[in-house]
Amino acid sequence: MAGERPGAWFGFGFCGFGQAPGSGHVRPVCSPKPLQAGADTCRVSASWSYTAVVTRGGRVELSGSTIGAEGSCRDVWAQEGLLVVLREGPGPGSGALLQAWAPGSALRGEPLWVQKMEVEGEDKAACEAQAGMLPLLPGACSYVSRKPPFYRTLAPELLARRLELGAEHALLLGWAGQVFSWGGGRHGQLGHGSLEAEPEPRLLEALQGLPMAEVAAGGWHSVCVSETGDVYVWGWNESGQLALPTRSLAEDRAPAAVEATGLNKDESEVKRAAVGEDGAPAPFISIQPFPALLDLPLGSDAAKASCGSRHTAVVTRTGELYTWGWGKYGQLGHKDTTSLDRPCRVEYFMDKQLQVKAVTCGPWNTYVYAVEKADC
Amino acid sequence: MRLRNAAFRRSSALRHFYAAGVMGVFLRMRGDLFRGILLWACRACTTPAVLCHFNILTSSAGTCPNKPAVGQMGEATHCPREPLAGAGMLWEALRALLPNTKEELKLDLSEKVERSVVMLLQEATELFYEGRGDECLQRSEVILDYSWEKLNTGTWRDVDKDWRQVYAFSCLLKALCLCKAPGDAATMATALRVCDMGLLMGATILGDILHKVAVILQTHLSRKRPAHSSTQEQPSTKKAKNDPSLIPDLTLERTVPRLHCPSLQHFKKHFLVPQRPVILEGVADHWPCMKKWSLEYIQEVAGCRTVPVEVGSRYTDEEWSQTLMTISEFISKYIVNEPEDVGYLAQHQLFDQIPELKEDISIPDYCCLGNGEEDEITINAWFGPRGTVSPLHQDPQQNFLAQVIGRKYIRLYSPQESEALYPHDTHLLHNTSQVDVENPDMEKFPKFTDAPFLSCILSPGEILFIPVKYWHYVRALDLSFSVSFWWS
Repeated sequence: MAGERPGAWFGFGFCGFGQAPGSGHVRPVCSPKPLQAGADTCRVSASWSYTAVVTRGGRVELSGSTIGAEGSCRDVWAQEGLLVVLREGPGPGSGALLQAWAPGSALRGEPLWVQKMEVEGEDKAACEAQAGMLPLLPGACSYVSRKPPFYRTLAPELLARRLELGAEHALLLGWAGQVFSWGGGRHGQLGHGSLEAEPEPRLLEALQGLPMAEVAAGGWHSVCVSETGDVYVWGWNESGQLALPTRSLAEDRAPAAVEATGLNKDESEVKRAAVGEDGAPAPFISIQPFPALLDLPLGSDAAKASCGSRHTAVVTRTGELYTWGWGKYGQLGHKDTTSLDRPCRVEYFMDKQLQVKAVTCGPWNTYVYAVEKADC
Repeated sequence: MRLRNAAFRRSSALRHFYAAGVMGVFLRMRGDLFRGILLWACRACTTPAVLCHFNILTSSAGTCPNKPAVGQMGEATHCPREPLAGAGMLWEALRALLPNTKEELKLDLSEKVERSVVMLLQEATELFYEGRGDECLQRSEVILDYSWEKLNTGTWRDVDKDWRQVYAFSCLLKALCLCKAPGDAATMATALRVCDMGLLMGATILGDILHKVAVILQTHLSRKRPAHSSTQEQPSTKKAKNDPSLIPDLTLERTVPRLHCPSLQHFKKHFLVPQRPVILEGVADHWPCMKKWSLEYIQEVAGCRTVPVEVGSRYTDEEWSQTLMTISEFISKYIVNEPEDVGYLAQHQLFDQIPELKEDISIPDYCCLGNGEEDEITINAWFGPRGTVSPLHQDPQQNFLAQVIGRKYIRLYSPQESEALYPHDTHLLHNTSQVDVENPDMEKFPKFTDAPFLSCILSPGEILFIPVKYWHYVRALDLSFSVSFWWS
């Protein structure tokens, strides 16, 4: 990492159990706050009641409903029912060790189960490069699930590069840029155009020919970013997490603030959401069952995306952070607890002259890695 | 109805369609169509409608954190804002429902409920008993939001009962905390709404305490509520809807046979066993509801209770959706006052929520001919203005549909005719027909017009027997209230 400008991690959103960046306080953090471990952190994985950070030195630190720290860790995946850690193998040249712990154990005592990762004759660097891939496991032919069976295999033909798990679905990004989805589909989160469940990984045909660079799974929604910087969204939009107009937010706004109204022939008012592209009033969308292209403000190109339970965060190529969706616990970072159904920039980073490089969301919070802007 | 569009496979078309706004149209059709499909799937699968439509269920039971808790959702129009004289009495009454010690206010939860949630529940309970209402409220809100997410994960059948208990418990604590400080009636109405959310989606806890809290709140609220001007109004009668051509001419149709108080044996032999529909007269006409129920009465008994309402006359409507509101709001918005949209309080177990109304109805004796227990019978309320429509579908249980207020036009097709009714081919909707019964697309559905059917106009006091899996289509000809009994 030589030659990089100094960067730090920030967090905002739900800290009800005192997890970073709450540092012991229970109130939501509505604006980005530097994490205490900040400079040394290289990865963050947040569950609902606790957050795990991995430092460059290979230490994992837990805060929130469980507190502790242990060394020789490459990667961590924090879930409410399970804390999964990828640890260095016992000796040089041996494969990594996958451990699943009860979160309450704080990594002390015995893990619930252990699985040795095979080193497939490739060099260690390749294996290390796969750190940060959880729940996808090294070798990309298996993954960890939060429900039994905890260890699951993947067909090698999928050429899995990245795997994300929602509350009831899974998204997989292949090395050729194709996206697969499977699991429950009742909220349209699979993107195949129906509400039916899919038992096995199924290719998203709607995105064929558009190579994707990133996928992100929220509780019941899915987001992906193409190599050309476009954002596609699908799934549940009940809190505006797809940046599509949602009825619940329109009803929360005062009736006078409804953006566009029309008049029926008898001049009774028509309450509608914002006007759509073609000038016609856009209706509310609660479920989007296949991918929709989302335009970020100012025509920005997206670089990275992450989803919380019901919110979405996207980093642009120019280092800005946009968030939208459920905001009740400050997880959008706009200094308040309003939910939004359109992308809004997190001004904190602009104000502080910081360039956002990465984002990772917990269910109800958001963690951001940003570096100081280079002097021009 | 095709769920796939071949054009969509071409990736470049994706951007093009979107830019041209064509996709916008496509999205609009699909997005709302799917919401509609979800509803009708639930109609046919007999799961209570509200439980399947998570898109409408706000986690914080209607409270928005950056708005004051009072004065929301129009409750202020019914409930005055001055502090209640009886606020102290209310709190006493509520407090009397609770055990004396925090150790007794506990749920028996399995390991499925995560340790962090259990911790937070304990903390919230402790804070409550220590009188720290605001802090308890904050934590209750968190547990409510978290358990709500669990309730929305997987199919309703798969949701662990423990999570429903947790949800109910958090609703209880929240409602109690809201009532702690001498607040105004709007806060009480919010607390009642929270109770209703817990009753609608939660599991019964602590001796059905949410019901008891709801009754106390309801009593206190009705003491304060001024007489409604809306009770004086008649249901809206728009000119167009008086069009007589909308009332079907049954002389042209084969009608459902009618019987007056048949014996159990007769009914079983001639209708239940051979699975034939029949209208039973003289059975329900002396139920108290037939004389007692009116808009005024329903408002009095249940006006401030929150119920699920379907908005939009058919699931193919762009604007179709489902939402929650109080019964008073429903009557005001969708029955009187020249409604803009069709609203339907449909497929809701109102009588579990408001036991007082249950006293006005009876379970038909003929249900004892079935295999199930009496407490397994599902009783649903169907309350709405003229014009509500339930598209053609079939249910997996026997049904007695009792008409209380107004008339309904009902058409019945035998399960043997299923092929001519073109059910959807998806698993979700295989018991819903694609055909619009009173306006069928004869090109798309050619076999439909020749399919034989029985029809009737069901009037107050009458009960229609709909055999299991018998296809039925229902349209309200007047302001209507029906009660259905699903039994096996």
